[in-house]
Amino acid sequence: MSLLRKITRGVRSLFQKEQVEQDLSDEIGAFTEMATHEKMRQGLGREDALRAVRLELGTVEIAKEEVRSATWESFVENLWRDIRFALRTLRKAPGFSVVIILTLTLGIGANTAIFTLINAVMLQKLPVRNPEQLYRLGDNNNCCVMVGTQNGGSFVLYSYSLYQYLRGNTPEFEHLAAFESYIADLSVRGQHDAAAEPFAGELVTGNYFQTLGVGAAAGRLLTPDDDTTTAAPVAVMSYHVWQKRYALDPSVIGSTLAINGASYTIVGVTPSQFYGDTLRSDPPDFWLPLIDEKEKWRLNSSESEWLYLIGRLKPGSSPEAVQTRLTVELQQWLAAHRDVIPDRDQADIPLQHIRLTPAARGVEQLQTDYALGLRLLATLSGFLLLIACANIANLMLARGSANQSQTSVRLALGGTRGRLMQHSLIESVLLAVVGGLGGLYVAYVGGHALLLLAFRGSNYVPISTKPSVSVLLFALGLSLLTGVVFGIAPAWMASRSNPADALRGSGRGNAEKSSTLQKSLIVAQVALSVVLLVGAALLTSSLRHLEGQQFGFVTDGRTIVHLIGLDSVGYTEEKLPALYQKLESAIPQIPGVISASLSTYSPLEGNNWNDWPMIQGRTIDYTGSAPSWLRVGPHYFETLGTRLLQGRTFEERDKPGAPRVAVVNETFARRFFPNGNAIGQRFGMSEEKHSGDYEIVGIVEDAKYQDTRGPAYATFFFPLLQAPPGEPLRGWVSAIELHVAGRVDGIEPAVRRAITGVDPRITVLRVLSFGEQVALNFNQERLIARLTELFGALALILACLGLYGLTAYSVARRTNEIGIRMALGADRRSVLGLVLRSALAQVGLGLAIGIPASLAGGFLLASQLYQVKSYDPLILGAAALILAGAAILAASVPARRASRVDPIVALRHE
Amino acid sequence: MPEKPSDVIQGTLDMLILKTLALEPMHGYGISVRIEQISKGVFRLNAGSLFLAIQRLERDSLIDGDWQPTENNRRAKYYSLTQKGRTRLNEETREWSRQVAAIARILEAQ
Repeated sequence: MSLLRKITRGVRSLFQKEQVEQDLSDEIGAFTEMATHEKMRQGLGREDALRAVRLELGTVEIAKEEVRSATWESFVENLWRDIRFALRTLRKAPGFSVVIILTLTLGIGANTAIFTLINAVMLQKLPVRNPEQLYRLGDNNNCCVMVGTQNGGSFVLYSYSLYQYLRGNTPEFEHLAAFESYIADLSVRGQHDAAAEPFAGELVTGNYFQTLGVGAAAGRLLTPDDDTTTAAPVAVMSYHVWQKRYALDPSVIGSTLAINGASYTIVGVTPSQFYGDTLRSDPPDFWLPLIDEKEKWRLNSSESEWLYLIGRLKPGSSPEAVQTRLTVELQQWLAAHRDVIPDRDQADIPLQHIRLTPAARGVEQLQTDYALGLRLLATLSGFLLLIACANIANLMLARGSANQSQTSVRLALGGTRGRLMQHSLIESVLLAVVGGLGGLYVAYVGGHALLLLAFRGSNYVPISTKPSVSVLLFALGLSLLTGVVFGIAPAWMASRSNPADALRGSGRGNAEKSSTLQKSLIVAQVALSVVLLVGAALLTSSLRHLEGQQFGFVTDGRTIVHLIGLDSVGYTEEKLPALYQKLESAIPQIPGVISASLSTYSPLEGNNWNDWPMIQGRTIDYTGSAPSWLRVGPHYFETLGTRLLQGRTFEERDKPGAPRVAVVNETFARRFFPNGNAIGQRFGMSEEKHSGDYEIVGIVEDAKYQDTRGPAYATFFFPLLQAPPGEPLRGWVSAIELHVAGRVDGIEPAVRRAITGVDPRITVLRVLSFGEQVALNFNQERLIARLTELFGALALILACLGLYGLTAYSVARRTNEIGIRMALGADRRSVLGLVLRSALAQVGLGLAIGIPASLAGGFLLASQLYQVKSYDPLILGAAALILAGAAILAASVPARRASRVDPIVALRHE
Repeated sequence: MPEKPSDVIQGTLDMLILKTLALEPMHGYGISVRIEQISKGVFRLNAGSLFLAIQRLERDSLIDGDWQPTENNRRAKYYSLTQKGRTRLNEETREWSRQVAAIARILEAQ
């Protein structure tokens, strides 16, 4: 009641200020009047009585002020007045305010962007019910399919049979689900679709969604009943696909789609936030029951270990106890299945164990991959913010010293130091909050840009950079913190100024006190900027060399069409010749296509098959890595622009039944035929009896297919359809290369139409310009180079701002001294030199530290650099020049101001 | 010549005002005069602290103000004790007597 009353009174007096003021005046007036009356009754004249009363009362205004300032609303009122005053002062110095707000926007923005990512990637839990109950069986991300014992004995990949055993014998799990460790490409075609489309799919057990604790957004999700072979095949669709591809059409649920050639009924859609068990780019679009796995070989073999396991512990069970129990069960199972472990690994069986790790964030893949990078970024941006704060403090000090006489007048007129400090702090917090708002925007845009840069080539990244509550709180907290951090020094200085000194006109008082700190700050910043600039230049130049190198093919005017495995859309070996022939005749007919070719894979797409050749009549040295190989069609090398050095390339006549031929690259020829007589020699694969299968008819130039930094691998090429005698054809087409006239972007629809025309079941995974396909190999390098550039540029800007602030500050304080010097005969140039020299001394010192530091940095970077020396004198020189130039520019503004000082005015400044 | 008036003992001003108002509703000047009279000139109130105390008491709902015309046709605010104020006065008076008695005992100790 009383608190409420206090507040209502307070609010009332805030909004009816005049009334409350009037009441107080009246009350004190009445008091005075009555007291005067009394005095007059005692015999004093009216004037004397009034004076006596006033003396007793103290000044009416002070009495009023005392009463007024005792209330909380007066604090609010003061604050409000201070804020308006601060806004007015800041508006009066727009250049200063804009510089500070921009600096803060960048500083806070960079930190908030990084925090947004850290929050989204590292801290966010799976969007499921009680994620803390989820535990994963395994502690690393070993992938795909394994046989036998595992990495250091810690099991992560499980066979279906082992999974069933663990599920059946561990009652502490409410549910235990299994799912494929990687995402597979799916070919999906609806009844009315012209062509099949590519999607991403994951095979999961029927209890997968129950285990994770997810309900359906529409329809139903998989259930354990879907785990039986008799169940009609069903699939669950992600909300993302439902929205993007099917426009949330409810009739999709219950409809049938052909997935990898088999019919599935779509029974439901997952919630919009759900991205599966692992945070990653391009998460599954469809979830299919494990039991529907086509060939069943993995499902039925207890040797193939290919499943990840996540379980939901019953409330109250102890993870440690369950972990021990799981290891015992694993040992029991392995003992009962000795045949699963190859003989050579039998001794390792007692070492095999299961680590139960918390899985509230699912399988931590992105988290592990990006932890170090994000931490590094957070540290860098934290530094950046600190430097920004220090700089702004410098600028505020510079301005404060210009306003010192004003401050002194305020102090002399009775302004308390507390009020002055409060005022100065309000100004900085205000700036910080505006900067913080800008920072939020930068964080949103910057975070998005970071994601695009890091995940270039991905269609969908389930990470939101929209500011969440925690991000908003973070930005707000950061703004307030920075406001206080950079506001403290100027506030303290303001409160310490001695009014008498200042009014006497000496700005010289404590000139050298804090400047050592400020100067070392500038030196450190210059050094840091040099290091970052040099690093950025080295990495950027390395990236340019990487992207611009001679790959052994031409990317201009080339486009690669990637197909989903033809086997998964129902092709068998006998049907391939007809299909290849149709494709080879249809695609070159597309207008604008100069030539086209088919191959098992294409350069730098992330694919590499290798195998040892068997050379007729001799044995080879099996050290080093086995050569790469692929099957390619006629015109392949012309289409990609790989030059023929000797002999011929494949032609239409190299069909099944015709003499088997091979083309090899230069490295292959040199490595296995050092005498230079490769043409006409014979070799084959895998077995001695095959060593005469293929005759080398041509040698092509080396081209990089896998490793962009090292030399090209030795590589051999076979025609598309020439299988070794008596063997099945290994290597089916999954890429189509095109050389087109003019721009490559427009050709895609025509290519898709042509492929659909050949067979609508063929599924185009993606169409990429060859240039983009190559560029995707450098995502990481690009990300690091761009970020170093960004931080280098920011550091440079901040260093210049800092230097400007400090120089301006010292010029303002030394106006008097400069005036005296000029009065004694110094000319403008010597004053200019005086100021510039002291600025350049800091820059020089910074360079003296920064250049050796960047040499050391370059040395550390050496392994990352491609065709760039870590001590490139050109880069070092350029970085030093840029820095010195920018620094001189920054310092010359206040220096010129100093040189224009009118000695008369400066001396009168006294 | 009377002794120089002193400030009220710290912490007792509220109690003195409450007590004064317990006798009859009164305006600010009245309170100050009454305290001076009853204390026989020992305590003299500074107007600033008086109004500060009045404002505090009013916000705590211990007293209630009411604008009324004075005999000279001015507006003055007459304060009266609320029920809550009466309770508080009793509490404080009891506490004060206890303390005074205790202090007296200490001072008279042989």
